[in-house]
Amino acid sequence: MYVLRNHYHIWMSLTAAPPLRFPFRRVDPLQPPPQYGEARATQPIVPVKLWNGRRAWLLTRYDDVRSVVTDARFSGEFANPDFPTVTEARVVVDKEERAFVGMDNPRHDHYRRMFTKEFSTRRMMALRPKMAAIANRLIDLLTAQPQPADLVATIAVPFPSLVMCDLVGSPYEDHPFIIECAAGRHGLLQTPAQAAQKARELADYFLRLIRRKERAPGDDLVSRVIEEHVRPGNLSREDFAEIGAMILRAGHDTTTNMIGLGTLILLNHPEQAAAVRDEPDLVPSAVEELLRYISPVQFSPRRVAMEDVAIGDVVIRRGDGVFALNPAANRDPDVFPDPDTFDVRRDASHHVAFGFGIHQCLGQILARMELQVLFPLLLRRLPNLRVAASEGEIRFKDDMQIYGVHNLPVAW
Amino acid sequence: MSVLKVRVDLDKCIGAGHCVLRAPTIFDQRDDGMVILLDDSPTPELHAAVHKAADLCPSQAITIEVIP
Repeated sequence: MYVLRNHYHIWMSLTAAPPLRFPFRRVDPLQPPPQYGEARATQPIVPVKLWNGRRAWLLTRYDDVRSVVTDARFSGEFANPDFPTVTEARVVVDKEERAFVGMDNPRHDHYRRMFTKEFSTRRMMALRPKMAAIANRLIDLLTAQPQPADLVATIAVPFPSLVMCDLVGSPYEDHPFIIECAAGRHGLLQTPAQAAQKARELADYFLRLIRRKERAPGDDLVSRVIEEHVRPGNLSREDFAEIGAMILRAGHDTTTNMIGLGTLILLNHPEQAAAVRDEPDLVPSAVEELLRYISPVQFSPRRVAMEDVAIGDVVIRRGDGVFALNPAANRDPDVFPDPDTFDVRRDASHHVAFGFGIHQCLGQILARMELQVLFPLLLRRLPNLRVAASEGEIRFKDDMQIYGVHNLPVAW
Repeated sequence: MSVLKVRVDLDKCIGAGHCVLRAPTIFDQRDDGMVILLDDSPTPELHAAVHKAADLCPSQAITIEVIP
């Protein structure tokens, strides 16, 4: 068997097709690209070619994803010129990134720890009544509209915005601008200049917000961080502005997409939607399953090898980029049996939709609480909620790095 | 019945908070968000939750020693 396997590999290497161009197109908009599953079954660490002709590796197995993102031989420094990217615009964005999302340790932990208390589990849990009040107001606004109405514009976009306003202290009227900046930076089709411009504008906006809060503090994240870290001289206003821009972007784009696509998937599985509506104990596991199934941050996490690293019979060369694909890991049948089946009753909580390792999402408990509050409320208040779109009317975000739906027409 | 001995490593902790969500009687977060171990010898009915917390910890700051 061993000999046969070796011969198979020699045969494969002699006849190997040129590496596939990454990213791939989805065939089914509700499933990851089929190449992930095919690679996992035959060649789970697979070389691909990027837009610039560079080689990178895709990791498609759960264990490989978790081990690489916790392995110090792989760097997460966005500034590394070898860092892998899916677009030319992303190169510029990565080069300009000054927040800890693009830093290795020890710098990462130094900055991140200034913000952990703001997103602590108990603090996020305490926001639930406020989140429910916001959700109820938005559901009122939805039902005041003629049917069908767009759930994305009415709920999925404003809900995380309003929660973020309250937490961060940014005025709600600024949120269309923040969303525009996030979309402008996270697109797949924009020019490098446009992406850099939107990244810059949001950091500049946050700098102005810091100066405003210095003059007139409130009960919000910006005011607290000024008091605890900026005034004592641990954190410059400029560094805080970069981190703040990252927090605003991350807080909008991701949860919005989970709500839009999550609602669509729940409505496609009416029995499971009814269970989420009627069984409060099921809500946390349903949210974990939605996160696993959707994995909206679809081209992450990324790393670059700092030395040659052997994983099984593959050697990743120093300077090679790696996409530790969380949507692929979250469909690994060795970890999630029958992975393409959506099942709110499974324990999916070990999914890696928020990444893994030190860069795992700072706002993940916030996102969980938002989703745990919103979905059951929506389903309870609108028990006849249904998708009201004709074939092709739902526009999927094939043009964005963070996957979701641009619109979701619903009736109730 | 085996006994568990739980340890946390503050040098590794990034305050992700999974542990508090999974086993709130064993783990808490300090004012600065870093982990506090409330009880290093959880009773058997909490073993599964503590193992889950250790598995979910993204910075691998929780170690569990199983004493047979």
